[in-house]
Amino acid sequence: MPRALRSILANLPYIGLLALALALPSLLGNAYYIQVAIFIGIYIILVLSLNLLNGYIGLLSIGHAAFYGIGAYASAKLMMEAGLPFILAMPAAGLISAAFGYLIAKPTLKLSGIYLTLATLGFNMILFLVLQSWMSFTNGPLGIMGIPQPSLFGREISSRPQYYYLILALVLLTLFSMQRLLNCRFGRALLAIREDQLAAEAMGIHAARYKIQAFVLAAFYAGIAGSFYAHFVKFISPDSFYIYESFILLAMLALGGQGNLVGPMVGAAVLVLIPELFRFLQEYRMIVYGSVLIVMMLVRRQGLLGGKNYSLRLTWFDPPAEKKYYRGDKFLPEE
Amino acid sequence: MALLEIEHVTKDFGGLEALHDVSMSVDRGEIVSLIGPNGAGKTTLFNCITGTMPPSAGRITFEGRSLVDLAPYEIAARGVKRTFQHIRLFDQMTVLENVMVGNDHQGRTGIFSALLRPPWVSREERTNRRKSIEVLSLFGERLLPRLDQQARMLSYANRRRVEIARALVSGPKLLLFDEPTAGMNPHETQGIVDLIRLIRDRGHAILVIEHKMKVVMTVSDRIVVLDHGEKIAEGPPQAIARNQEVINAYMGKRRAGID
Repeated sequence: MPRALRSILANLPYIGLLALALALPSLLGNAYYIQVAIFIGIYIILVLSLNLLNGYIGLLSIGHAAFYGIGAYASAKLMMEAGLPFILAMPAAGLISAAFGYLIAKPTLKLSGIYLTLATLGFNMILFLVLQSWMSFTNGPLGIMGIPQPSLFGREISSRPQYYYLILALVLLTLFSMQRLLNCRFGRALLAIREDQLAAEAMGIHAARYKIQAFVLAAFYAGIAGSFYAHFVKFISPDSFYIYESFILLAMLALGGQGNLVGPMVGAAVLVLIPELFRFLQEYRMIVYGSVLIVMMLVRRQGLLGGKNYSLRLTWFDPPAEKKYYRGDKFLPEE
Repeated sequence: MALLEIEHVTKDFGGLEALHDVSMSVDRGEIVSLIGPNGAGKTTLFNCITGTMPPSAGRITFEGRSLVDLAPYEIAARGVKRTFQHIRLFDQMTVLENVMVGNDHQGRTGIFSALLRPPWVSREERTNRRKSIEVLSLFGERLLPRLDQQARMLSYANRRRVEIARALVSGPKLLLFDEPTAGMNPHETQGIVDLIRLIRDRGHAILVIEHKMKVVMTVSDRIVVLDHGEKIAEGPPQAIARNQEVINAYMGKRRAGID
């Protein structure tokens, strides 16, 4: 079989999913459904970034919405006041958020376990208070209104399907970059630190450095998601980045399962959909939401797709290493 | 000068001296056994060497440079690797990944190179993979069919073997084995004894904590005996076997008049 054909066959599930994702706006039709799909996209990026900390390196962060908020405010401010174009404002928002990730990670790394967790919670609360009280900069609880639409390469992004394709591209970029980061020396070091930090250090891994890097990366991705959110909703206020939001992210991660790239996506999709599906129950829909989580913790504690490693390797970009098995006294290529 | 020199090392846990004025050395291509009753300070000495617990006083030099005040990962990168008394594997990683982690400190792939994947990154990855499989093939058919299995699924003896492979893969100059044959049957123990000799013959120096006297007597070039944190004897196996102080430490002193 020619190599190209084999690659296509090996990647068939991905091609199918991608085709589905591309066709989704026309399949859904309704602008409300597309909006739900866009929110799933935002949460997928957020939960994947939280997964780097909680799932991969094993640092329990419960204040992740802080980085989301920093990204959102930074991007809005950069476009509205510094006059940056969207294509620069979004990565800049990611970088600003990453810088805050560094500032948080550096001093708190000496803390371990529950203390680090509390520090992330504290950071989230401080950020909320700053956003709420710094009237001259953030406009306090009234929030920032009239955030401009993004435009890419001279084209305004204004309709729902256009936003959908933008978030789809961002989700794919996130997946692609995380897949590359995690399937190499860097990813192995993160896992090794999660599994046994003492042993990892005895094997030559500089755990503190990797922890800072993981924090910075996670904050960067969350900042990008925040930037998209700001320009999509066009209105941001401190309430969107309160601790409540961090807990939603944690719930999504717990539901989907952490430590791989598929679980967080499933968790984000399910928990965005549940409140929407049960909207007819009105106030009671949060009970459904809570019950799903309680039942999950009782029945399947590792999450729907936790505890496994799903390879998202695209053989076009990363040809898998040739597998060899040992038979007798020779290495034989895989039959 | 010896590869590893330990001079007057004392380790104090708030008044309790786990090690008192211990001096010893390990030469290149030598197998030194560290024996002594439980609580003699053997593992504490390992922790001092690897930087997990820096000594309270004394000097530890490796290739003429001090190891005191270095972080564990720096000591590992200098070429000192260890195994643990209670096996510490990365349970949810595969056998192959576990071993590859042992070699990763020699790599240089970081965030940006991982994202951009210049050709040397995949070359580095392939080399690491090949080296890890080579080391695992030291154990014959035991681990090679299980490369992609999670480490937690392995049998006890195989877990020990993976830990040894993980320490060995980077080609360290000095290996510290903390009870490598604990919980192994005589056949498996013999396998480890053969392996330790093989590793020595490849030019690595080995310091091993061991309780099985048969292993200690056959494998060691030199034995150091610790008791209550102090070195009470040092010498070749035959001399140690006859040393009265060592026998007393292990068997307890006989009261005068009874024998």
